[in-house]
Amino acid sequence: MSLTRRHMLTGTIGTFAWVLALCPRPARAADEVDDFVEQWIGRKATPSDRLKLMMPAEFSTGYTVPMDISVDSPMTEADHVKSVRVFAPKNPLVEVVQFHFVPRRSLPRVSTRIRLAAPQHVVALAEMSDGSLLTAKAWVAVASNGCL
Amino acid sequence: MTAPIPRVMVPGSVARNEVFAVKAIIQHQMETGLRTDSSGVTIPRKIINRFVCRYGGIEVFRVDLHEAVSANPFFEFHLRATESARLEFIWEEDGGATYSLSHDMMVA
Repeated sequence: MSLTRRHMLTGTIGTFAWVLALCPRPARAADEVDDFVEQWIGRKATPSDRLKLMMPAEFSTGYTVPMDISVDSPMTEADHVKSVRVFAPKNPLVEVVQFHFVPRRSLPRVSTRIRLAAPQHVVALAEMSDGSLLTAKAWVAVASNGCL
Repeated sequence: MTAPIPRVMVPGSVARNEVFAVKAIIQHQMETGLRTDSSGVTIPRKIINRFVCRYGGIEVFRVDLHEAVSANPFFEFHLRATESARLEFIWEEDGGATYSLSHDMMVA
């Protein structure tokens, strides 16, 4: 077998792939959280700017972290937000809250305060009237455990 | 524990089709079931698990609460003023107790 340039190249790439596979990469928190929705509910959700999850990036206490949620939607019978769920994957109890909206009568805009046990990505999941799922996340660093 | 006291804030009057904000809060411990008392016995979970707002008898907003909603759960939400009608607010607690308030909404 003659050693062509193609053989050299594929060989080199193959070696690289092996080296990458053998080096344990540090798992990135963002990657974990991106897989979270699918693992939790068994369906993929689309990251979307239409869903806004606004939380402080740093907060002194985990007991009462402010949270604002809004979804860009016409809220017609044909095109509206059915609900928004919120998860805190690093809390001992992951489910936080779920808001349900009604077309023409309520707007998908709500504020509340939640408890966070540790610094984490909070995850929001909006279910739209066509059955699609939108997701957004917000990193919050809390200085104290708010779950006790 | 004191009896939960619910409060709501809504505008006095609004124009038809205007969007208005509602602030609803209830004084409540929101006991998670994760804590133990001084003798090491788990304090049972007792939270407000649902909040419902009806407008003219129709449910227009609902919240399912879990343990991670803060004590004295507070919600600010937004409704469209469709008609002069009664707003009803109901908080449901673990164990079946409910707390409620109502307000007659004037739509000009």
